Amino acid sequence: MSNNGSDIDHTELRDFAAMLAEVLTPGDDHRIGAVVRLDRPLWSTLADLGLTRLTGREESGGSGAGWAEAALLLTAVGASAAAVPVAENDLLAGWLLEEAGLAAADAVRTVAVVDDSGAARSVPWARDTDSIVVTWRAGDGTWRVADVPRDRIELTAAVDLASEPRDHIRVDLSAVDGVEISGAVVEQIRYRGALARALASAGAMERIVELVVEHTTARVQFGRPLGRFQAVQALVADLAAESALARAAVDGAVARVSEHGFGGDATRFAVAAAASCAGHAAAVVARNAHQALGAIGFTMEHELHRHTNRILSWRSEFGTLAAWDAELLDAAMTAGQVWPLITGADRAPRNGRERVGPGRSERPGG
Amino acid sequence: MRTRLVPPAGVSDPALAELRTQVRTFLHEQIDAGVFTPGIDTWLTRWNPEFTRALAARGWLGMTIPVEYGGHGRSFMERFVVTEELLAVGAPVAAQWVADRQAAPSLLKYGTEEQKQRFLPGIAAGQICWAIGMSEPESGSDLAGVKTRATRTDGGWSVTGTKLWTSGAHHADAFFALARSAPLDPAHRHDGLSQFIVLLDSPGVTIRPILSMSGDHHFNEVILDEVFVPDDLVLGRIGAGWEQVTSELGFERSGPERFLSTFGLLDGLVGGVAAGTAPRDTRIGAIIGRMVGLHGMSTAVSESLQRGENAELAASVVKVLGTKTEGDVADLADELCGYTASDEGLADLVRAGVMQRPGFTLRGGTSEILRGVIARGLGMR
Repeated sequence: MSNNGSDIDHTELRDFAAMLAEVLTPGDDHRIGAVVRLDRPLWSTLADLGLTRLTGREESGGSGAGWAEAALLLTAVGASAAAVPVAENDLLAGWLLEEAGLAAADAVRTVAVVDDSGAARSVPWARDTDSIVVTWRAGDGTWRVADVPRDRIELTAAVDLASEPRDHIRVDLSAVDGVEISGAVVEQIRYRGALARALASAGAMERIVELVVEHTTARVQFGRPLGRFQAVQALVADLAAESALARAAVDGAVARVSEHGFGGDATRFAVAAAASCAGHAAAVVARNAHQALGAIGFTMEHELHRHTNRILSWRSEFGTLAAWDAELLDAAMTAGQVWPLITGADRAPRNGRERVGPGRSERPGG
Repeated sequence: MRTRLVPPAGVSDPALAELRTQVRTFLHEQIDAGVFTPGIDTWLTRWNPEFTRALAARGWLGMTIPVEYGGHGRSFMERFVVTEELLAVGAPVAAQWVADRQAAPSLLKYGTEEQKQRFLPGIAAGQICWAIGMSEPESGSDLAGVKTRATRTDGGWSVTGTKLWTSGAHHADAFFALARSAPLDPAHRHDGLSQFIVLLDSPGVTIRPILSMSGDHHFNEVILDEVFVPDDLVLGRIGAGWEQVTSELGFERSGPERFLSTFGLLDGLVGGVAAGTAPRDTRIGAIIGRMVGLHGMSTAVSESLQRGENAELAASVVKVLGTKTEGDVADLADELCGYTASDEGLADLVRAGVMQRPGFTLRGGTSEILRGVIARGLGMR
């Protein structure tokens, strides 16, 4: 409905990030009962700002932005533990409908790759959507995609480690008329989803660093702040370093994707590296953060678990951590040498377009 | 705004990619011609003056030294790209390492015109080698505690003390000796320190080898017994040694040698998996992923240095993560292939990796010290 796309195109990413920081603030508990539900008021706000279809084409009601903007949004969503399916609605479902040439009225959507029986497990936010963009391999071997209304889907409620909806679904494929779509497009779901999760994780980990620094500088034991103890400093330094490593890998993948899309091997390698770094970082960050925060950190009332349990959930979605590590090894074996693979996935030169964004616009090109 | 320990990487430059290709092509030609065999930790262990001079002849040494001092006036990022390529392939670069990495930038920053004219052209030509004169028997991480003394004498200074863990001193021409030129004031420990250019063939200099546990000779003990350093070989300002040595450490800590020391072994592991002699262990993939992140971070640090920023915090993050990861490569190769690997080339790399690994997280600032730097950067202390 509301479309601020042209504004976004002309606004520096820095201002965009500042705006996001006002809309997506950490600390609010979105939990209703035992299960987190879609935060409808926040979703409306995001929709009014053109953020729920941030990367959609402008002619189909989207904001026409790219992955650079999406990266900032996902980071902010991750940092605030916001209960909004922006990755699913925009970067996956919305994108898939556009690829399939299907008209898409405004709605809340998620995506599911279902098996021959029409079933898929752990579908993010399924119960809170209006429709699910389902893709499956038909009997003739072609891939099909359809936008299936939520009320025509059988749903078994399930949640992830952070109590966010990850429902098991079943679609009656015989009753659905799908549009053909290339296998290459379907394959991209995994990479897009994993990069979106890695970005949200990077944001969440940066918020965790903040929480840990706040706590260890404020909490006094043995007459001094925890942060004065070298053992605590080491815990925190390590988690902050892991978070920074994940951020570097994720930034690299976003830069690559912004220029080249998701098609090439180098991009896939960069996304796999981002998913791997973010996933491994999650273990160190979650463990060390809980260690530093002590008992308060794993109570329901404290903010920390909302982030730690999300990053641990996200690293299992769109491919396990082991699968991404295996993909990196396979890529190296195919290439024969590792180093050219790493430098070949570098950010490619931009063609005359100055990049804007945090700390970038003032940078020399080399 | 959230604390960002490492700045974001900027846009890449096609000219750098072209330079990268040129260097890589040259290095593979050198390997094919048998000039060198790729090794482990070669920036410390492989001293090859001929190879260093061959790099100099191509303009890949002293790259950031201005043309008027025999250098090439190229950017920090160009040097970074060449450095990464040399390390990733395990080229024998120890002869040039300290001179190119930290002596030249320190001379440019603090040296007199005469000192620049005297030393920089030789460094750029690969003819002058440098060592590090910081650590002492009683002063490792706690550098401000150095006991080497410099006392005023006619026309210069008399320097007495012992420097330790001085890699390559037995080949090198000079080092910057960090010495106390004024008595220690416990309230201001960083005051009263100065740096002196000590020519290692000066009277009063004794260099004794210290063998590493592998049996190799890289380390030395350098004893300075009333070594005369003329006034024109004082580096920078008397009393400003701490500030200068901190700047020197910035160059020492920030480079890609802090994650690429065992890169050849990672290649060997991947080759082993492909050949069926090593198990298809996903931890290898995880390390490759970390190398991607480290390469990105290290690039960002170099860009930051090129802008003239203080990159101490970001460099500390890269060094803590990178030295752990390059050590993990050695451990994993040992675990998966072992020194008993049937491929003799790989077995040699495993052995070298295991022998060198303890130094990775010590040299240039221990990980424990650097974690303290990071904690301070986060506002914890």
